Amino acid sequence: MKMLSPDRLEKNKRTGRILSLCALAMTVILLCLPVFEAATAVYTKKSPNTFKGDEKYTAVKAEVEEAIKDYEEFGDVQLKEDVTLRDKSDGTQSSMITFTASTKGHFSGWQLIQSGVPAGKLLLLLLILACVSAALAFTKGVRLHGIAVAAGILALLLVPVFSMTITRFFTRTIGTVLSGAREADITRELQGADGLLYGGKGGDKIRQLLGSMDFSCTAWLWALLIPGFMLICGAVVSLNAKLSEALGRGALYAFVISLCVLILYPYYVMFITGLRSAAETNDMYFLNMLPVQWMWSNYGDIVRRNVLKYLGNSLILSAGATLISLLCGIPAAYAMARMKFRGKKAFLGFVIMSQMFAPVVLLVGISRLMIGLNLNDSVVGLMLINAAFNQAFAIWLLRGTFVSISSEMEQAACIDGCSIVGSLIRVLLPMAAPGIVTTLIFVFINSWNEYTISTVLISTPGKRPITVGITQFSSFNMIEWHYLFASALLATIPVVILFLFIEKHLVAGLTSGGVKG
Amino acid sequence: MNTILVRKKWIPYLWLLPSIVLMSVFVVFPILIVFRLAFSEISRAGVVGGFTGLDNFVAAVQDKAFGTVMGNTAIWVVSVVGLSTVLGFIVAMALNTEFFGRKIVRSIVIFPWATSLVIQASVWNYIIKYEYGNLNNVLLNLGIIKTAVNWRLTYQIEFAWECGIGIFVTIPFVTFCVLSGLQSIDAAYYEAATVDGAGFWKKLRHITLPLVRPSLTVSTVLNIIYVFNSFPIVYTITKGAPANKTDTMVTLLYMRAFYDQQKGPATAMSVIGFVILCIAAGAYMMLSMRKEEDL
Repeated sequence: MKMLSPDRLEKNKRTGRILSLCALAMTVILLCLPVFEAATAVYTKKSPNTFKGDEKYTAVKAEVEEAIKDYEEFGDVQLKEDVTLRDKSDGTQSSMITFTASTKGHFSGWQLIQSGVPAGKLLLLLLILACVSAALAFTKGVRLHGIAVAAGILALLLVPVFSMTITRFFTRTIGTVLSGAREADITRELQGADGLLYGGKGGDKIRQLLGSMDFSCTAWLWALLIPGFMLICGAVVSLNAKLSEALGRGALYAFVISLCVLILYPYYVMFITGLRSAAETNDMYFLNMLPVQWMWSNYGDIVRRNVLKYLGNSLILSAGATLISLLCGIPAAYAMARMKFRGKKAFLGFVIMSQMFAPVVLLVGISRLMIGLNLNDSVVGLMLINAAFNQAFAIWLLRGTFVSISSEMEQAACIDGCSIVGSLIRVLLPMAAPGIVTTLIFVFINSWNEYTISTVLISTPGKRPITVGITQFSSFNMIEWHYLFASALLATIPVVILFLFIEKHLVAGLTSGGVKG
Repeated sequence: MNTILVRKKWIPYLWLLPSIVLMSVFVVFPILIVFRLAFSEISRAGVVGGFTGLDNFVAAVQDKAFGTVMGNTAIWVVSVVGLSTVLGFIVAMALNTEFFGRKIVRSIVIFPWATSLVIQASVWNYIIKYEYGNLNNVLLNLGIIKTAVNWRLTYQIEFAWECGIGIFVTIPFVTFCVLSGLQSIDAAYYEAATVDGAGFWKKLRHITLPLVRPSLTVSTVLNIIYVFNSFPIVYTITKGAPANKTDTMVTLLYMRAFYDQQKGPATAMSVIGFVILCIAAGAYMMLSMRKEEDL
């Protein structure tokens, strides 16, 4: 068995202690503070043609106040008045007053456990885990600290799960119970909710009450939990530092984690939506974060709708564009890096200028040119256009790479009787391989992701690249989101992986090639 | 010297030839065509007639959407380039510090850059839908909101979303440009500054910013060009609706050229776009040429 170093063990101990304390603190917040809120609209009355303060208003208000007395036993009843003013065509105003009476109740996790609502069990589990973690973290056994860390992390991860379960119970489960979809265990759940929200006095009115109930976790629960959680992450990592530094670390982690969540969010949406059923993607009332049914068959469906063909087209198009771009770019970059000649600056200016003209702005010109060359609606035409518009970047990146490599080896090869072309192929290119691969992948990705020229130039559906191909799933009045995102994911994954390969070199190439020279 | 001697003077040009041919045919030639069309009369069927002087430009400027669209384009370019530069700089600063999981975060930050803009735009278009969008779904599930919120109530809000998405996809480029600048800074500067008692802000102002400036210049100028020419985001999310109120110049140009068959005014708009960009590119050329003195 591998021995852990004492340093590592000490760190484990501290980590376990901090994590377990945090888990305990969170559990205590959830248990003791009234962080859950349930508002039940028990009574509504609309009074048209009423202005605030006039006779009708007083009469109706008295009537309302009388009526809501019936509900006072269920908790604090609050009366709210909304005034709706509307301008009529003859210049006068009409006014309507809506009286809404609602009982507002806050409750804490402890009350939740007592009431026997299902989510309570999760909270109990959380409490147990936090206690176990704390107990282990403060005992002496060396091996136990690892378990304490694990239990602490598990407890922290349970917090959002618990929060989702309770929200689900109050919004979805109760809804289905009330609508009669589930008859079997109706009493236990209703009694639990009744006891929690209305002090057990709901009685036969309970269905009506629950039907008009709104549940939410108070916003400051989230305001407390999320940054708290992130601060912990930072603090755990920099245990040995001063307090201000540890907090700075915490802030850094908070920033980095939220950034990652934000960036990954669209990809999560793509993945999840790609596995939903058609009905679910367009349903106003579906409330699950994960698909009810995981529709892996969506991928079979999109393959049947030519997505593989489009991916193939994209592959051919991008590979061709990359090849052309490199075949033209390598000699040019070599000349720029190694040879002295008049007009070098002019050529550089020309290359830089060509970056300014995005294909979109030139679309009219490009489509006319392609018709003239008889390359309209052909993949070869697209290849050439993509290669041409990526020349600037290719020359730029390649020149940077070549400049950074000393020419001594090539000069030696030249003396040995090798031609310039020979020295380029045998000496320089192998040494510049990382830079060339970077350029290659970069041009490939740019061509793969290109959309605008392809929409205009390609009219035959069978020749479309994938970026245009996915638009077949969105027609004017109906978008098949699940198919759209399933194919979008297929189109995204390969390029993202490719990009990860070149990330390091691209950073070096972007500025060193262009700026520093 | 890092150069190779060539015996004949014309040899370097031979090396440049393939590249020049490729770019001349497929970049320069379309530019010439666009310029010619901008000064010609074009029938609805696309037949090019004689020289018409500035008629197309007058038609383009008198287009009832022109004013709004120019305003939108200005807002779009300034907000996207400006905010993504600031945010990208902050992200780069964060990524330049050592922390657990830095490599993973760096990889994640590059995702939006690697993804096709059409795809990003489609996903966000779905996320902010009112009736069944994913943002409402997630927020409802977490219990943060009680009823679905309409995230695209007015066209101004929709345009703001488009700018936001533009910023979102532009940040990685800025981040990586700045990051490469940051990594080339010698740590000794910071050590010396710490000895002299300089705090975080002083170091940022007197060491980091001046030394990263070249990278920032490159990323900013390239971004101005890319963002000005950026098409898929606006086209996917609003298509300029309602009544061109959320169009930028590029999408309006596309609509006029390929939907309304007004190729003349559309090419005139292209030329106006060139002129605007040329000013930006002029600045870029001057800045980068200054660095190329030692070529």
